[in-house]
Amino acid sequence: MMQVIDTSIHAAVAEAIRREAQRLLSTGEVSAIVGYASARRTGAVQPIVINDADSAAQLVFTSASVNNLAVYLTTAKKEIPKTGKIGIVVKGCDLKALVGLMGEFQLKRENLYLIGVPCVGVLASTVQPAVELTSETIAPKCRECDAHLPTGCDFVPDVALPPMVPLETKYATEIARLEALTPAGRWAYWQEQFAKCIKCYACRQVCPFCFCEQCLCDRNKPQMVETTPRPSGNTAWHIVRAMHLAGRCAGCAECERACPMDIPLNLLNRKMAKELKELFEYEAGLEVNESGPLATFTDKDDQSFIK
Amino acid sequence: MHPEKQKHGFEPKIIAFVCTWCTYAGADLAGTSRMQYPSNVRVLKFPCTGRIDPVFILKAFQQGADGVLVSGCHPGDCHYIAGNFHARRRFAAFRKLLEFIGVDLHRLQFSWVSAAEGGKWVEVVTDLTEKVRAMGPMNEFKELALEEQWSGSINTPELKEAYNQI
Repeated sequence: MMQVIDTSIHAAVAEAIRREAQRLLSTGEVSAIVGYASARRTGAVQPIVINDADSAAQLVFTSASVNNLAVYLTTAKKEIPKTGKIGIVVKGCDLKALVGLMGEFQLKRENLYLIGVPCVGVLASTVQPAVELTSETIAPKCRECDAHLPTGCDFVPDVALPPMVPLETKYATEIARLEALTPAGRWAYWQEQFAKCIKCYACRQVCPFCFCEQCLCDRNKPQMVETTPRPSGNTAWHIVRAMHLAGRCAGCAECERACPMDIPLNLLNRKMAKELKELFEYEAGLEVNESGPLATFTDKDDQSFIK
Repeated sequence: MHPEKQKHGFEPKIIAFVCTWCTYAGADLAGTSRMQYPSNVRVLKFPCTGRIDPVFILKAFQQGADGVLVSGCHPGDCHYIAGNFHARRRFAAFRKLLEFIGVDLHRLQFSWVSAAEGGKWVEVVTDLTEKVRAMGPMNEFKELALEEQWSGSINTPELKEAYNQI
């Protein structure tokens, strides 16, 4: 049954963001603000970097504000001047990514001004940006969201979140379905998915955690992963990608949104998050954690699989 | 002098990634003690299990391994203090990922073999070899690698017809 999701808070949120951005830039408290602005297509929204108070009027927030802006602050992206304090508009899921980056010493909290957004969910990548937010058009990640209200931000618009409609989970259901299959069944499923990959590396470019100066998968001496968009290289790339994000991925699902071939990339990330929670009781959250689950250990870790 | 070697229809290729301080020395001990173990295993020596990247395991399967063994020092015995503790977490996660992708985990074995455990090395290698032998060749990754070289299936009717005309 289709349910309409109440997005009436967006207007007030956008207004509060504009006012705060205006104040921050006119007082010089921040040197730039990364936020959302309207794009050319009806209803569409794109990321924008503003550095003068007059541009603050361009900022918006709607259910089409899908991008995780944290990616613009990583060392892999040079668009943002790295001088002074930077303001950034973050949803709960984006904040988890920022917190992860802080835990990996990529960003310093004192150099950021966080404008948190109470979020009721954003649109899926498969629908047009102008459509209404409903239980059908909402992004799969928002169905399982536990961070509608970001915490620990410098500024959060004073808006009361409407009561959340409980939605059917997508990832948890799909993971359970795949886990029930035989290894051969899962292999067939993933081969079908990976066969679609064109190796555009959009998933890597859009991921806040893929900030390596040189990716292992681009190295050719020795070449660990074939770079061809064919079955062997594709399979290796997706396994390596999931493994390198294990224990780091914050679940913003940007990889899946950016994928032009609709490969369920976040399904692998969610599966790894689930396993790491079971194994090491770790979950990406809103608290800065300086050592992720695979960068630390205890002497009581599970070793039942080791002879 | 040597016991009669049994003939098998299928000899699996087992790649063993071992740490130089414990398992390699353990395998050496098995050798100097003249213990018999299957010659299917190809040993690759690393400084520490912490140096063994999950990518190596992937690469081994792609290059035609039927089974992979990763072996190092017992917890607490690491020459570099904590390499095997980190490896333990990493491989616990990696095997879950491989399982989800659809790899049969019976082909992937992890073990702790110390420098004094020549007997345990023999036991681990023999067990894995026999297990993989019973399972038959690992074809999944090999077929993918083959597709990399051939842009299509190699036994299409067209190709067969062309072959018959030669």
